[in-house]
Amino acid sequence: MEFLNFVLIFATGVLVLRRPDKEALAFRLLLFCAALTVFLFFVGSRTSVLPPFNY
Amino acid sequence: MRNEPLYRLLAVLLLLVSIAPIGVAAWWLGFVHGESPCVLCWQQRTAMTLVALCCAFILRFGPRPRYVGLALLISAHGIYMGVRHSALHWARDVGQGFAGEFIGAHTYTWSAFIFWTFVVAIGLLLMAMRDGATGAEPRDPGPLGRLAIGVFLAAVAGNVVQAFASTGPPPYMGQSDPVRFSFDPKTWVWSLEEWEPAAISLRGRYAFASPSIDGLDADPARGPLRGLARVAAGSRTRIAAGLDGTPADFARDPASGRFAVVTSRHQVAVLDTGLARIEHSARLDPGYSVDLGRGLVGVAWVDAATLVALNESKSFATLGEAPRADPAKNWRHFLAGGERFEERSRGRFATVRARMNHVAALAFDPARPSLLTVSVPNARHRRLVVSRFERSDMTLAEEFVPALGPGLALVSEGRSLDEYYVTGLVVEHGRLHALSVAFSTLLEIDLVTHEVVAARGLDGLSRPVGLALRDDAWLVLQENGAVVAYPR
Repeated sequence: MEFLNFVLIFATGVLVLRRPDKEALAFRLLLFCAALTVFLFFVGSRTSVLPPFNY
Repeated sequence: MRNEPLYRLLAVLLLLVSIAPIGVAAWWLGFVHGESPCVLCWQQRTAMTLVALCCAFILRFGPRPRYVGLALLISAHGIYMGVRHSALHWARDVGQGFAGEFIGAHTYTWSAFIFWTFVVAIGLLLMAMRDGATGAEPRDPGPLGRLAIGVFLAAVAGNVVQAFASTGPPPYMGQSDPVRFSFDPKTWVWSLEEWEPAAISLRGRYAFASPSIDGLDADPARGPLRGLARVAAGSRTRIAAGLDGTPADFARDPASGRFAVVTSRHQVAVLDTGLARIEHSARLDPGYSVDLGRGLVGVAWVDAATLVALNESKSFATLGEAPRADPAKNWRHFLAGGERFEERSRGRFATVRARMNHVAALAFDPARPSLLTVSVPNARHRRLVVSRFERSDMTLAEEFVPALGPGLALVSEGRSLDEYYVTGLVVEHGRLHALSVAFSTLLEIDLVTHEVVAARGLDGLSRPVGLALRDDAWLVLQENGAVVAYPR
């Protein structure tokens, strides 16, 4: 999944540099990548969403 | 045009972030040193890359609120990720950590700091920005901006390669314990382990309530040990009236015969030899300095005029009897009383095996000046651990899980000593007498061999909270204030 995320980030960067007319598409890709990152971190840390310390 | 210097500064920042950490992580740490990120590291690295991508957006399209806002949101999530991830390792012994260090700190620790600098940098740039900086049309990022975005893409390309080798194509994803990076496909590990079902929890292993003696089975015959000898209750008496709160433990000074009692309202009282009169008392302020909340559960005499009172989280206060204590000096320590007490210290016992368990009793071993606790089970962690703390520095000196000695056996497979809930402790002649409210059982543990060498069922007990020894009897304090003598 991390591979997919970085491929999308790379594609978004290329759009920003080469195809500024696709700004809306680039931003949607950026949002998707951010959401995917949050989701993947949750998957990896869901057994203790908060730092496992005393509170 | 008015913000061109800021755009140049932003391009330099994008260039720097693209080189390190994003590029260095893949091209240097990954390809040169073989370092592989774990599943959480991957997301932290990805989030840094996304903040950098937001910078590229701003260079190209101007500081639109949605780009700046998203960069802040990702940075905030990055700080959370850095703390959450580092929390797995921050409490370890010095130098311990996960995978390799980078300039004196492990990479997951750097992450929290880097995201914090992102937030600071964004704030400073916003403050420096002039009004009306956002145009409707894309802007030319200029040579420096193009260079920065180009380096950014090169850094991302390295991560694409590393992510493919280390985590694989979807649905494969990063691993908790990744192997080192290699360009040799035969060494690649593509895993689905993170997708396996697991319970979602807010606080993980810390998610359990304080233990309680409510509902525990008092019948020795239903306990985990087979064929217990039974001891019938002897004389009964009542503890002196006038205590503030419910009795939670007591201890007897073998030299003077006096008793110390602690209560649920943080009162520490010294009683006469017959338990009939309160000689003096003090009520600790549980909120001063070391948190003594959650109620006191243990007390022990460490000499003829010094007591240690303990709460269920193993936090303690050391009190010395002082005939002419200074009330003004004591005000910070005591909510009430204290005319004849001085608080000498407060602290916390730290354990290793029992760190996820509370305790409910305390004992002092005069032969080897030290204090002992026994862990009590909770809904998540069931383990009976004896912990010993040196009196000299109140630091852990020994821990053990008692084994069964000769002549003792479990009722059946699956039962264990972990079912006992020890609320009374006392040491005599190298043996720890531990009274369990569960199954009303008195265990005798040899402190040299670490074995339970004797176990007895005590008849007629109701919610015992304390244990003391006299030459002729075990004295058991019940929550209702009754003291029951069991002949020895």
